[in-house]
Amino acid sequence: MGSGISKILDKIFGNKEMRLLMLGLDAAGKTTILYNLKLEQDVTTIPTVGFNVETVTYKNTKFNVWDVGGQDKIRPLWRHYFSGTQGLVFVIDSSDRDRLDEARTELARIIQDREMKDALLLVFANKQDVPGALRPDELSRRLKLDDIAKNHIWKVEPSCATTGEGIFEGLAWLGNNVKIPAK
Amino acid sequence: MASAISYRPTRPASQLGRSESDASSHPSLKNAQAGAQQERTSLSSRDRFPQSSLALKNLPVPSRRQGQLRSQYPLDNPENHVEYILVASFDIDRGSIMEHQYPGPISGDESMLAELMLPDQAHVRSQDWTIFFLHKDTSVEDAAREQRKKRRRRRRKKKEMGENGNTGEWSPQDGSDELEDIEDELIGDEDLESTEDEGEDEAEGPPLIYVLNLVNTKQDQTVKRGAIVKAMAICTRHSFLHIYKPLLLLALEEYFRAPRLETLASLYNAVNSMDLSLMPRLTPLERHILQASDAKDMFVEKFSQMIQQRMAEDMQRNSGSSQQSNASMPKYQLPRDTHEFESRVLYNGIPVPIKVPVAVTPETVGDFSLIKLISTFSEPHKTAPQPFTVHSHLTTSGPYTHPIIVLINALLTQKRIIFLGHNQPSGSVAEAVLAACALASGGILKGFTRHAFPYTDLTKIDDLLKVPGFIAGVTNPAFAHKPEWWDLLCDLPTGRMKISHKIEGAPVTEGLRYFQQGGPGAISSNGKSYSNGAPNGSHHSGSDDPSGDTAFMESVLSSISNRHGEAVLRMKFRSWVHRFTLLSATFEEIVYGASALHIGASEIDEDRFGYGVSGHGLVWPDEASRTREIQVQVGRIEGWRQSRSYFSLVRDLASQWERGESVRGIDLGFQVERLRGLKVGEAGAGEIYRAVSRAIERAGVEFDDPDFDNSSIDSLDETDSDDHDEDVLIKARRIARRSKARYDVINQLLCFLPESVGGLFYLSLGLFHKDVGVRMAVVGCLERIMAHEAGRHFWATLGRFAKLAFFRVKREGEGRVT
Repeated sequence: MGSGISKILDKIFGNKEMRLLMLGLDAAGKTTILYNLKLEQDVTTIPTVGFNVETVTYKNTKFNVWDVGGQDKIRPLWRHYFSGTQGLVFVIDSSDRDRLDEARTELARIIQDREMKDALLLVFANKQDVPGALRPDELSRRLKLDDIAKNHIWKVEPSCATTGEGIFEGLAWLGNNVKIPAK
Repeated sequence: MASAISYRPTRPASQLGRSESDASSHPSLKNAQAGAQQERTSLSSRDRFPQSSLALKNLPVPSRRQGQLRSQYPLDNPENHVEYILVASFDIDRGSIMEHQYPGPISGDESMLAELMLPDQAHVRSQDWTIFFLHKDTSVEDAAREQRKKRRRRRRKKKEMGENGNTGEWSPQDGSDELEDIEDELIGDEDLESTEDEGEDEAEGPPLIYVLNLVNTKQDQTVKRGAIVKAMAICTRHSFLHIYKPLLLLALEEYFRAPRLETLASLYNAVNSMDLSLMPRLTPLERHILQASDAKDMFVEKFSQMIQQRMAEDMQRNSGSSQQSNASMPKYQLPRDTHEFESRVLYNGIPVPIKVPVAVTPETVGDFSLIKLISTFSEPHKTAPQPFTVHSHLTTSGPYTHPIIVLINALLTQKRIIFLGHNQPSGSVAEAVLAACALASGGILKGFTRHAFPYTDLTKIDDLLKVPGFIAGVTNPAFAHKPEWWDLLCDLPTGRMKISHKIEGAPVTEGLRYFQQGGPGAISSNGKSYSNGAPNGSHHSGSDDPSGDTAFMESVLSSISNRHGEAVLRMKFRSWVHRFTLLSATFEEIVYGASALHIGASEIDEDRFGYGVSGHGLVWPDEASRTREIQVQVGRIEGWRQSRSYFSLVRDLASQWERGESVRGIDLGFQVERLRGLKVGEAGAGEIYRAVSRAIERAGVEFDDPDFDNSSIDSLDETDSDDHDEDVLIKARRIARRSKARYDVINQLLCFLPESVGGLFYLSLGLFHKDVGVRMAVVGCLERIMAHEAGRHFWATLGRFAKLAFFRVKREGEGRVT
């Protein structure tokens, strides 16, 4: 009951809380994005052993962002983070054309999981500063988002994690589209 | 009476697991006996005693001290200190991989191991320690264990025959054979008891492999993605694995410099050359006494004897080439503190000092701190207590039960427990898990570490959930969001515990119904007619804390704030657990009529052996306070009775009984408690003092022995006149057995008289008893205790007043005789 009232108050004042799961192939830039969100500056990152989790408040929305390591062998672990996730942030190295198919396969596997059926999908077309990087429209076509994410609300946001470009725009989109789950 | 009772275990096999009949059904027993014969002949050529039968007459009376002491880790022990060294690293493409294993690959899932070695968030800290356990069994070890078991069985059998006076079957052909038997009596007995923890472990499965792991993250701009993460682990069967920390630090550093298999090999060789052979083996009672004592020279006699034995061996070895013997003799030193054995490991030219704990109790792994665990969860509870979800197994003092009590209850009733330390090093969650195991075990209960996962992560969740009742340490906050995975979540950063709302309810049991409103056990508690309760200091009598847990936690916390130290706290929890097991036994006797936790209770209550006292278990001022105390704990008692730790205790007690270790016919703990806590009156106290004295004097005498009832104080130390009747050898054996048995009885008595509750004080009060016979009996007891290796320390801490009384009573006694 009490939590119901606070939810109503949150609605009036527009306070929201949102759980995000950030995934992607290794070295796509997930941890850099996370710490750019948190600290609003570029940090040097090293490969994530396990996970990172941070809380970021942006425009009345408190985001709990989970960033899970992307190495091939630890991807089966991702499923443990699915339940309760309201938004999936999938990070793609737009300059790594060789591994786009691999990324698509992984993305399809995640977004089509039963526990993710209500999640929003934000794809960061990251590393836009690298020459030859794929543009967002090209990327969405290559990822076949119309097909694999047809039951989801999705958006592809061009980004550059090291400068912070596009990051908050993506977050704002998530904040605007999230529905308070009726409990 | 005499004919019905036999000291040897001739109880029906159905009653107590393994026995003679079991052994003879073993297909390989014939071979074992043949082997035993061979062994005996080869042993006799070893010539410990002179061979001629003439020399036999001059044999020194073999007292216990002259029996060979055994080492915890003998020089010729085929088992290595460390079994494997592993190195894993975090590959930026593939994740966690195993890089090297020495001396060979450890079987099992390599990638699982590598994941455990590289804990979550290793990348955010430069260094982290973890501990995890492996359940591994090898056929070689199995064979070795089987061998030991056979040997023990043979010795036990022989011992039984000896005790029965039935030496006919082994008809002595020559003197040396007889000597063999004495030797076996002296050494073999020791062997029987000192290998007992092995025996106990066998019931629960092969020993665990403990893994101590160090992970380092080094920033390095020259490598792809700027960092190297590597981990090195030591796999050992020693529960005191923390001693290897300094070595692991050195070796991992070395491995970053030289990432080769040889680096592992040199560490492996260094740690396995560590010499612990001068550390004597202790019996469980001796270990308990050592742990409970502050005396830095407790049992120093044993260390000194180990050194003498070694020097004798060295002499023998050097006598062949005696030229330069004296100069090359190594120097042996007595330990500065007998609680720790000091050794050193030479690694890479650096002598690294190592301190190994001498007395290790079951379920004590690594170097955790109970104080830290208790403080973490006590502070928030003190400042802002939060109510728990009520569960009859867990919240034994209502919704505001102390979290540490909730934790112990959860462990006792085998719940799924998770310690979560988000943003903490994995080493700190591992420590919390290990501390929790020791907390609920108290060194008495077992089966916690075997189901503990000091550090684990999400990758193992599917396996973890298959384990009924686990204790796991994690750093990933995802676990907090999954209340279906745990029953009790202990959050280390906030110091809060939470009972899952998805926890399974406690089943309604017979015991629960018995003590419920309207049940037979509930009546007396409603009557409130317990006004005659004698005042007693040892435990609570307030009705707002019927379980006594609130008072217990207050005493624990005051101990912590008064800086009493870790050892004192461990002892406090040990006695809490001990009391809980006795309480459960009483509960079983009330509800079910008998308890497997009180074997031999009936012969004690009947006083079948004529000690002059009866009764067993816990001491209460009256019936009502007993009912009240049990009633509030029925939930956790019934929960515990379904747990692994309960069944393993029942098994341990049964095998203790089978080995005939504890004094039969009298519950020393109960009698000591009566002296301490109850007003037993002059006559009652007199009976207790006499009974204790009898227990010490009669130790080792058969119940059907004519000596049993008239064993006076010094009868066995002097040569009796009926020498011609009794063979010298049989007599020597009797004396050896009796002095050893007495040594053990005094150990048992001392365990019930810890220095923390006055030591010998309550016993010494008997020096002021009005009956001179009682006073003399107490003098006799104290003299025995004074002459005892551990007892002399207890005597030393006894007050001056009592000591003066002792000498006065003793003088009086002597005066009367002359």
